[in-house]
Amino acid sequence: MHRHVRKEDLPMEDKPVANPMVVLREEFDDWAILFDPDTAQAYGLNPVGVFVWKRLDGNHTLSEILQELRATCEDSPAEANDHMNNFVKKLVEKGLAGYEITKVDHLQIPHGEPG
Amino acid sequence: MKLMAAPRFVDIDIISKCNLKCLYCAHFTSAGDVESDLPTDAWLNFFEELGRCAVMIASLGGGEPFLRKDLKELLLGIVKNRMRFAILSNGTLITEEIAAFIKATGRCNYVQVSIDGSGPLAHEVYRGEGNFERTMNGLRVLQKYGVPVTARVTIHRHNVHDLEGIARLLLEDTGLPSFSTNAASYMGLCRQNTEEVQLTVDERTLAMETLLKLGKKYNGRITANAGPLAEARMWTEMERARREGKESLPGRGYLRSCGGVFSKIAVRADGVIVPCIQMGHIDLGQVEEDNLRDVWQNHAALNCLRQRQGIHLGDFEFCAGCVYIPFCSGNCPALAYNLLGKENHPSPDACLRRFLAEGGRLPMEQALALL
Repeated sequence: MHRHVRKEDLPMEDKPVANPMVVLREEFDDWAILFDPDTAQAYGLNPVGVFVWKRLDGNHTLSEILQELRATCEDSPAEANDHMNNFVKKLVEKGLAGYEITKVDHLQIPHGEPG
Repeated sequence: MKLMAAPRFVDIDIISKCNLKCLYCAHFTSAGDVESDLPTDAWLNFFEELGRCAVMIASLGGGEPFLRKDLKELLLGIVKNRMRFAILSNGTLITEEIAAFIKATGRCNYVQVSIDGSGPLAHEVYRGEGNFERTMNGLRVLQKYGVPVTARVTIHRHNVHDLEGIARLLLEDTGLPSFSTNAASYMGLCRQNTEEVQLTVDERTLAMETLLKLGKKYNGRITANAGPLAEARMWTEMERARREGKESLPGRGYLRSCGGVFSKIAVRADGVIVPCIQMGHIDLGQVEEDNLRDVWQNHAALNCLRQRQGIHLGDFEFCAGCVYIPFCSGNCPALAYNLLGKENHPSPDACLRRFLAEGGRLPMEQALALL
């Protein structure tokens, strides 16, 4: 992926994870609602949003998702990149998606340093 | 006709029993008034199914939900399956402990408490002695613990002159953000007590005038989906359209009411799946035996109810010659069923032409100024 990453963009190698408490409610024509039962907020998702949401599993990078999206959707626009990045960024800002926390192994703290 | 894959909302009678027996209760003697309630495990399994269907909100009624000893367990089942909930209650059994629990779930949209008077006189005439204070206490306990709380006022012959006092009590003295209204309707026990309970035409006119006035005074904090306030708004809209010579109003002229069958489904206390709590006689299946998504998408009776909106009001002898046909929605099918024994018919109770023919008056000028 040779793309200029703006400062405010999410890095394309990020692997965001959908908040497991948020409900994806697929309704009709591939459109859906994201429902957060803790806040009672609901957000409409278009079919591309649904496609992206389903791949926010902590295993796919944003680059991979974009690649798959381009392979699946005909005539995806040049700015699909930015759209997807903005979309995921908004999900993260609203708490609908995030990142897995990496466990720190305290046993590997170098000898002699305060624990 | 596009249909969602599964309902967004589910209304659930989690119990058939109640500690009160209000004279106009829509539940008692209805098809939903059943002998046995589903046990805890069956409801919890059903909530898991609702979670798989991505249902958003479960509304718990009855009977009186706070009579269930396992209420906490049931609420946790709803929370676990990523839903929110509402509870419809008479308010008399609400304790500090359960209020604190409800608040702690973080998932309660509201608890709706039924209040029928500004004091014991109007409230207790049909709801039983001593219950005004119990209900108000329940309401205050919910407020104390920060549980979102609202009230439902059912308008009848003994509180129609008390509406200003009720609004003052609920919105000023108690500080509720809003309350909703309806009227005692020809359902359940009310069918046996209609002369004593249901509003006369003159009282209905009075209720409409008073509620419109109060609605203005309290800046929209009084709401209604049925009953005099809803009728005042709908009928005024219809009459205004007629006077202005409009050909029709969008979506009217057919049996368009209500749209609940496109987003909601209901379950009786015995686990029978029904289109609506008020249409408990239409058996769509059984919790734990039938797949909810399949019932929702494919049951013939449910699809029949959805297709009623293609039935033109002009097809009914009841509507023959009515100038309001292009502006009318036919209104509640459950009420039509209770009055006539058939759902696919306009509800006579909400018929503007009949209301006017019986001497009813529309608060036109007042309502037009408010619309």
